[in-house]
Amino acid sequence: MASLITCPHCGVRPKEEFAIRGDASLIRPAPSASDEAWHDYVYVRANPRGRTVEHWHHIAGCRRFLVVERDTVTHEVYSVVDGTAAAREARR
Amino acid sequence: MVRDYNNRHALDQKLRGTPKPANADHLEVGHWQAIATVLAHVGLETAVERALSSTPELSLRYCGPGEWLVVSEVDTPVGLMRRLDMLCGTQAHVVDQSDGRVLMRLSGPCARRILAKGIGVDLHPAAFARGGSTNVLCGHIAINLARTGEDLFELIVSRSFAESLFDDLMTMGRAFDLSAAFSD
Repeated sequence: MASLITCPHCGVRPKEEFAIRGDASLIRPAPSASDEAWHDYVYVRANPRGRTVEHWHHIAGCRRFLVVERDTVTHEVYSVVDGTAAAREARR
Repeated sequence: MVRDYNNRHALDQKLRGTPKPANADHLEVGHWQAIATVLAHVGLETAVERALSSTPELSLRYCGPGEWLVVSEVDTPVGLMRRLDMLCGTQAHVVDQSDGRVLMRLSGPCARRILAKGIGVDLHPAAFARGGSTNVLCGHIAINLARTGEDLFELIVSRSFAESLFDDLMTMGRAFDLSAAFSD
């Protein structure tokens, strides 16, 4: 696993300071969406090999949610951005 | 029913007895400190930071974006709250932490090497300069670490973790003959 994460607020930190909160690429369905869509959103997860986008929570540092893009094979970290900024970017 | 509440320091049990003389590397536990958390309202982070850093008596410790621990050497807890209310009354949430946090001061020529045993952050002056502060993990305990001098670090920890962190620090410093005592 990627062992050093460059937090945009705290700098380079070991992975022990973080908690991984799961896939960040999911999009919440509309409230009126079908039961199947909601079931997939809540329960069904892929276990991809390669590039993944995940929510990481910097529990022992700034306590902010981050969006980490990393490779599950090579352990390379491509980008780390603040969750709020990423959400604002996605809404645009 | 009437109860008596005794205001005991979190480390009273650990530091009982007559204090031993301080060695070169020394851990000083602040007896009663005025500490408060300040969380700025969204969009007002820079205004609050400017207001807080305009007062030389207050020491700001960075926690996260728009969030600081404010330490005062001269104020009482009540006095610090009053001062912070005046500085950033409607711009931030201010919570008194004087009884909720414990401040420890680690000094000595080997302070950096002692901390390096538990902290995964580069403490070289070029990377973590004097006046810098940040939240880090020390062993398994989240603390706020600040550098107040070349070989002088201040650690702020939650009260309930203070005994555990104290034990960890004494273990980390055993090879360097670390001593500990209350300040004053």
